[in-house]
Amino acid sequence: MVSKGFLLFAQNTDSIDYVEQAYALALSIKNTQHDIRNVSLVTNSKVPKKYARVFDQIIPIPYFKKIKNSPLQAEHRYQLYAATPYQETMVLDSDMLLLDDIGSWWNYCGNYDVHFCNRVTDYKLETVVDTVHRKTFMANQLPNVYYALHYFKKSDTASEFYKILEFVVNNWEACYGRFASDEYQNWVSMDVSTAIAIKLSGMEDVAYSTCNPMRFTHMKPAIQSWPIVPDSWQTAVPCVLNNHGKLIVGNIQQDKLFHYVEKHFVNKKILSKLEELYDAKA
Amino acid sequence: MSIGAVVVAQNNSTIDYVKLAIFSAKQINKFLDIPVSIVTDSKGYLESQYPDHPFDQILDISEDAFYFQRRFNDGALANKVLEWKNLSRYRVYDLTPYDTTLVVDVDYIINSSVLKPALFLDHPLQIYSQSMDIANWRNVEEFQRINPYSIPFYWATVFIFNKGNVTSAFFSLLSHIKDNWEYFRTLYCISSPMFRNDLAFSIAIHIMNGKKSGDFAQELPGKMIYAKDTDVLISVKDTAMKFLIEKKDYLGEYNVAKTSGLDIHVMNKLSLSRYIDGGSGV
Repeated sequence: MVSKGFLLFAQNTDSIDYVEQAYALALSIKNTQHDIRNVSLVTNSKVPKKYARVFDQIIPIPYFKKIKNSPLQAEHRYQLYAATPYQETMVLDSDMLLLDDIGSWWNYCGNYDVHFCNRVTDYKLETVVDTVHRKTFMANQLPNVYYALHYFKKSDTASEFYKILEFVVNNWEACYGRFASDEYQNWVSMDVSTAIAIKLSGMEDVAYSTCNPMRFTHMKPAIQSWPIVPDSWQTAVPCVLNNHGKLIVGNIQQDKLFHYVEKHFVNKKILSKLEELYDAKA
Repeated sequence: MSIGAVVVAQNNSTIDYVKLAIFSAKQINKFLDIPVSIVTDSKGYLESQYPDHPFDQILDISEDAFYFQRRFNDGALANKVLEWKNLSRYRVYDLTPYDTTLVVDVDYIINSSVLKPALFLDHPLQIYSQSMDIANWRNVEEFQRINPYSIPFYWATVFIFNKGNVTSAFFSLLSHIKDNWEYFRTLYCISSPMFRNDLAFSIAIHIMNGKKSGDFAQELPGKMIYAKDTDVLISVKDTAMKFLIEKKDYLGEYNVAKTSGLDIHVMNKLSLSRYIDGGSGV
């Protein structure tokens, strides 16, 4: 039996408890997934006992070294391939919640060695093309992929790909200058690095696809098609996680995967609701 | 299985909706070749003033006396505040004598057979969400979503429904929304306190879809084409209609536009009424 599971990365900073976010996501995975419910966490931060109970494994970051210009140190995520305990892995950003069973995504992605999400929606569940934050992708014709949601299986192809990704992350200034010089981003981005790695590895036909079912609701305020862009989306639309675990944003029930982006979204109320649902299921 | 159309006509002190309904019914008879019944609170008036009326059945709702006051524009510069009786739409399900019913506002003028194929489809509800303003410069956002932060907008102007448990539930829900309008308009951030069928339909469809995008309501063929009440209908000849369309940035000035063979929502009922009386509409 091939082992499959979700892999989350969380490295706390002085101000943000990413481990708590990963815990909330892990609870939502346990609450919504029917078949594949394994979750492991990659972190060097301390994980409270209460949180640890929902993870299969807590794995230290394999090779941790300080990356300049990166307050979140999130670029260590390229090491998820080396860290995963599973044969097939679905990687999710920790500031997400899973709201529906996504068993069909596993079936689809199983056809590939590495596959990235390349479609996001706003909370109205309409596909959006992010022309605000992704200028460098458009200017340099990079694949519009999101590292926040992707799949890989242990294989030579995937291994090669993550080696290339490691190279891009570790030499990002040179790589961005060569492959993403227009609308240049002067910070390390996993999305830009991944897009370049896809180009370098010649995997543009297989690393993402037009009929890819993987997608998520992306809550960056600037891509919500609002007349006025607020600092926080939570000030613009009401949001509630109800007793059935349904997340309603602006009266619209969110589905699949919700990328809330704003770190203060996971508060005590949300967390206790997720725990309540988890305990009821257990 | 019976197929027919229903028009709703409730006169106010100025607009003879019954007269408009007769015009509308003749157009429906001509282009769709189906019987038309009228839902009205003016049965006596209809029978005495229009003894040769084209209606299949007269469905009396004389007990529905409640109305709002609203402004009716008559071109860009003139308007009147009149009674507006629009609370009976949800009753069409119980009143209609047909299994499949086309419900048409009296100011929606049928000039083609484009809706005919839809009468034979097995969908519970077919309605327009897509629309086109005959003046191509006006802001159409109010007809895309009920507000920029909320759910898709549907036009209650024209729709087709098949009787059944699902549509019965839908119309019950509409009644519930009408009875609790203050609650629903607050929940959906609708600023105007006035009840509007379009908004109630939009909310009800959203709920029937499980508060997400769904297929409860199918799109009617084509698009809802409309001329606003700040435009003026000049003439109708066969299937051709001529309008004065308000000019951008020049209040009180107009451009002439002509349509041919298009079903069109003529929101300026006063000019439509003048045309039917034998005038030019101006």
